[in-house]
Amino acid sequence: MSSHNNNSTSANDPRQPSAAKPYVAQPVSPQDLPVDYSGFIAVIFGIAGVMFRYKLSSWLAIIFCAQSLANMKNVENDLKQISMAMMLVLFLFRCFNQTGPAEVPVWRRALDWLTREPV
Amino acid sequence: MDLSSFRLLFLLSLLVTHLSFSHVLADSHFEGFDAEEDDPVEDDILHHHSIPSPPVTQSNSQPLSDLETKSHPDPNPVPTSDSPSQSDLQKPSTTSFDYWDEDEFEGLPIEQPPPEPPKVTETATPDDPESETTSKPQNATVPKKSFTVEIACGSFLIVFIVNYFTGKRENENLALAWAAKFATKGSIFEKNFSLLGVGEGEDSPLLLKEGQTVFKFYASGRRYCQGLLATMELKSRHDLISRLFNLVVPCKDEITFEVYMNDEAMDQVVFAVAKKKAAKGMQKEVRDLQRFAGLMPTPSGRKWVVDELSVISESKEVAGDLITETVLEQVFGDKAFEKYGKNFISMHFSDQHPGLLRKMLLFKFALPDANHMADITRLVALVPYYIDLIGRYKLSSQARSKTEAARVKAAQEAYKELQNARQEALQRKKAEKKKMLEEAEAKLSAEAARKREAKDRARQMKKAMPRMKMTRAH
Repeated sequence: MSSHNNNSTSANDPRQPSAAKPYVAQPVSPQDLPVDYSGFIAVIFGIAGVMFRYKLSSWLAIIFCAQSLANMKNVENDLKQISMAMMLVLFLFRCFNQTGPAEVPVWRRALDWLTREPV
Repeated sequence: MDLSSFRLLFLLSLLVTHLSFSHVLADSHFEGFDAEEDDPVEDDILHHHSIPSPPVTQSNSQPLSDLETKSHPDPNPVPTSDSPSQSDLQKPSTTSFDYWDEDEFEGLPIEQPPPEPPKVTETATPDDPESETTSKPQNATVPKKSFTVEIACGSFLIVFIVNYFTGKRENENLALAWAAKFATKGSIFEKNFSLLGVGEGEDSPLLLKEGQTVFKFYASGRRYCQGLLATMELKSRHDLISRLFNLVVPCKDEITFEVYMNDEAMDQVVFAVAKKKAAKGMQKEVRDLQRFAGLMPTPSGRKWVVDELSVISESKEVAGDLITETVLEQVFGDKAFEKYGKNFISMHFSDQHPGLLRKMLLFKFALPDANHMADITRLVALVPYYIDLIGRYKLSSQARSKTEAARVKAAQEAYKELQNARQEALQRKKAEKKKMLEEAEAKLSAEAARKREAKDRARQMKKAMPRMKMTRAH
């Protein structure tokens, strides 16, 4: 490795402390951030899970939610994602905590859930 | 970092609460199923739960009274006010009762059972107020609720979380191994740059972590260049799903060096070296290569890079001057490349990069694993070597006139494009203005019509009013 340097720079030190500039992070606009596919998939699975009362779908939503959380990059996104994830997960758990005959339609369930007294 | 781990922990805790809830729920579906536990609280709940479900079409009062009478023979009665959680758990059962729409079955004979009684009712319909023991064997016949989904997904989630931490550690170790090899005291970057690390001061951190897979290293304070930014893009080891995906579609850990050259230190050079296939793609896709450079045929009568590689260059002269004997001997020659060049991906020097800093050298290498970091020493040594080579390099007057002409032409084209775009924008603006004016006019006319209408109405009202008054006065 040093043979390279020796050819061209053995005579003097290439370093120039006076020319040193501190690191400035390049600003990244929110549009340039990579798309959060896993979050999107999580939402889709979540909605499907709620609408069709399909348990596997809700579980997949939770898994993709975890993936989305694991791949987070910066703080501004964090807030958005964590709130979204939390809402989704809580909603799913509320839905699963409801018992009753499976024939009761989803809208009725939702109505009931919305009008019940807080626990 | 801490924040994200906290989040995951939170998610886990939610999951645990969910599991515990579903456990209770499952019990409430199959009361008396796990008879071994015989938890008094649960039994009580189950008992309560089983009561209101019978398909009584008449009213609430009967099941409620039933509930009271039936709760008495409970072997271990627990007062309802005993635990707050109990009331929580009873909630679902009452809601299930609420779903029973009495109106739907109005006029039906009382003895007739409902068309589709819920599962729970099967266990509750037999009149066995005195014993739970009799209901147990009946419960055994109820089909088991399968927990395969919960078990599979729950265990996947746990593996995911464990993998998150181990994968994160792996990536960090890889990045630290790189930094230890090339950026610590006495290493190649320390010898070449006076400022290392992303912060200011002596003990500034060497690496900047962005997300779980991107690590950045910054160095500055060297002749010919403003600074160097090395970006390590590692595999998503922390993400189990990506990891599984990468088993199918393998990818590599990559490191990219961006060297921002001083404006006066770099002549008009457009030059790139890459693997044959990638070079073709680069020549077509990368803008400055596409505009100024072309693939170089292997020159006869001199040593050249290995067959695996292609050179893209603006002119023969540049290619010949930048592929020096030393480089061939050290990395790109036939013998050396096999040994030292296997992690080479591409390098690309240009004074026409898009963006703010136009004069830039780009090097892209694959990262070996943490224990074999020494494999890329010669490749990393290319970086300072080329900084010096390019910094000192001056084109011959002939080549310079050619490149100058090409740049002027490109600049003219760019200017024309800009002009066109500006004109288009102007036209669009004009059209928009016109449209707005028209719309405003239409609005105005509509408003005028409305006003006229209002006036008319007022006049009519006026006409009507006095008559009214007159009639009243009479």
